[in-house]
Amino acid sequence: MAILTFTLSEEGVTAFRDALNCLSKFSEDVSIEARKDSFFLSTMNTSKSAYASFRFATNRFFGRYQYQATGQFQDKFYCSMYIRGLISLFRSRSGVESRGDVDKQTIIDRCDVAIEDGEGVKSRFIARIIFRNGLTATHRLPFEVSMPVHAKFNRQEALYHWSISSRTLKQLVDHFGPGTEYLEVNTDGDHVNFTCFSEKTISDDAVLKKPLHTSISVETDEFDDIDVEDKLQIVVSIKDIRAITQHAAITGNAIAARYSLPARPMQLSYASDAISCEFLIMTVGERGGNPAQRTKKVRKGAPSSNNHVPPHLEATSRRTSAAPSQTAAEIQRQQSEMPPPASSRQPPNPTPRLSAARASASRIGAFDFRPSQRPPPPTLRSDSLFVEDEAWEPVRDEDEDGDEDARLEWDHSADPVSGLVNRLMCPVANLETESLYFAHEPRR
Amino acid sequence: MATEVKPLFRAVSTSPRPLYQLLRCIDFAQRVHVQITEDGIRFAADNSRVMQGVAFLDKALFSAYTVNLPPSEDGETPDYPNFQIPLSTFLEVLQIFGSVDVAARAQKADQDPYRSNIRNYRPNAFSNHTLGIAGTCTLLYAEEGDPFKIILEESGTKTTAGLTTYLPEMPEDIPFDRNDLTFKIIMSSRTLFDCIAEIIPAGPVKLTITATKTSPFLTLSCAGDIGSSSVDFARGKDLLETFSINDRWSQAYKFDFIRHASEAMRIASKVSLRGDSQGVLSLQFMVDVEGGKRSFLDFRFVPFATHDDGEEDDVEIEEYD
Repeated sequence: MAILTFTLSEEGVTAFRDALNCLSKFSEDVSIEARKDSFFLSTMNTSKSAYASFRFATNRFFGRYQYQATGQFQDKFYCSMYIRGLISLFRSRSGVESRGDVDKQTIIDRCDVAIEDGEGVKSRFIARIIFRNGLTATHRLPFEVSMPVHAKFNRQEALYHWSISSRTLKQLVDHFGPGTEYLEVNTDGDHVNFTCFSEKTISDDAVLKKPLHTSISVETDEFDDIDVEDKLQIVVSIKDIRAITQHAAITGNAIAARYSLPARPMQLSYASDAISCEFLIMTVGERGGNPAQRTKKVRKGAPSSNNHVPPHLEATSRRTSAAPSQTAAEIQRQQSEMPPPASSRQPPNPTPRLSAARASASRIGAFDFRPSQRPPPPTLRSDSLFVEDEAWEPVRDEDEDGDEDARLEWDHSADPVSGLVNRLMCPVANLETESLYFAHEPRR
Repeated sequence: MATEVKPLFRAVSTSPRPLYQLLRCIDFAQRVHVQITEDGIRFAADNSRVMQGVAFLDKALFSAYTVNLPPSEDGETPDYPNFQIPLSTFLEVLQIFGSVDVAARAQKADQDPYRSNIRNYRPNAFSNHTLGIAGTCTLLYAEEGDPFKIILEESGTKTTAGLTTYLPEMPEDIPFDRNDLTFKIIMSSRTLFDCIAEIIPAGPVKLTITATKTSPFLTLSCAGDIGSSSVDFARGKDLLETFSINDRWSQAYKFDFIRHASEAMRIASKVSLRGDSQGVLSLQFMVDVEGGKRSFLDFRFVPFATHDDGEEDDVEIEEYD
């Protein structure tokens, strides 16, 4: 009768909870999609500007996984559920409160899940949690059979990418204050700047009407690889990034970002042993004056045993000699024709640490003023990218660049004082100086 | 009476912490009913006559305990003092005890920054508590109609609190027939607490308790806004220390009432669940208090009335394989 049955170990329950916690930061509902050999959790936020999906490897993640094709679910099963109900079901049972004696009794032995649906059967997500001490808890949650909405991402269009250790990225994101809304990523020579800011005005009386801008400049050496157009400013919502990095840091693997131009989606992806995660978030921003110039760095010397970068990305990143003006089609052709020979691996840069330390030492603590970057009005955020089906056709952006700049009408002569930028030039190793800067943040 | 200096009731405790712990478990009603007997004091809280919680403070919990009842004329058992006091106020007063130590430590920390920075987390070898000169807590009821007095004496500080006593209005217990038990289960109170914690997220209104002779033996189930949950002992019969049952028994209770007893579940070591043929549920908790003594907390619940049209059975109790 059950369409889908699977078993989770205690670690599985934890991983499930982490994924659900991450999804709950995007939306209230989660879509479950299950096939014979795949299991997806996905969600899209209400403004359709962010999409998150988790794919679980059925053979490795689940102790047992059985899909029974019946009725309307011949090919796949899909439904939508209230996330909070699921989270409370998979919540952490141990150490909810400090127990005097360390009796680890109520720890889960396993969790059997069955999804039942069909004629004459109530639509229920049934989780039976078997505790090690012998208790059995059975939870039944209702669900709605509804087709999940998936966002599509065109990899060919995404010319720019970087990947960085998720823990490093989380450390960076942790420094951004709670009142901020946007995160801007841009490159400047051999530095990548992460700037966090808000467009909200606090109050009319305050001298500084906006919360502090916090900018962290990271040496490209911190990245596993990077290939981005110089001075390209891409702005995303910091809330989404926070949710993503928090989960990514749990897995601890490298997180890869791919994007093209402002107002096109950015893909963030990472994978752990049995789960692969993909996020698409909408961007706004501004393109620099020199599209031909790229910030590029490839570090392939270190053996990447725990580096789960997809093969596609590896191939692209080794393409050190590719001209920036290459079209997507050419890139693809090159990838398919030319599997990278082992000899093309570059030796590791012998002195990256030293140079990074020196560079940061000379610049650390430097305040400077620069014009505030205004993100374009919110109307520019395109929702149309997220469509329900495969029918979406990407549009080449190169043709539209002129248009877009004209429409935006950026005011580059903006009053330099209105946006005080606190620029912190430091690699991750020097982050202990941050408290000094946060002291300037106006109290709210 | 010649010796009018003798109060009706006087009890001295050097450590009121167990009193506080026990009384906190029945902190769900505004006023508690107090009855003083020769064996101890009985505090009974009542909620709309469908839930009752009783904490009995045995005289063994006190270092001195005297009851001087006026001798009755005809030699029958004398009337024990009966009155009501506001429980939350009583609990607040009991919390004053020990605050002198905290204040002394804070003062010491000011004078000695080394201690305050480095060793503050350590138990202080020279605190009044460790030295056994913790001071005393005296409960005093001089005569009928007097305020119920709590006198706390600690390192030179004496606090006296007088609680207004009210006329008793609930002298009767919820009837529970000990001779007509349908089932009796004794288990670790922690297990019951875990069961309740397991179904709380479902946001239940009604909790159905079912006891059966065969597997799953004991089931707690409920239905809430976001789904239904149940906990059973199908694989955990050895968690039930005593298990005697005459007949299948299933009753529904208001979940909020049962939850009021969760503080008792948390601190107790064992619980005895009993149900009589009328459906009244009795939860008896055994609490190990300081010094190897034992105290008991007694809760009684009246079930939802069951109708024969079967409408009340909205809790899903389908079997799952």
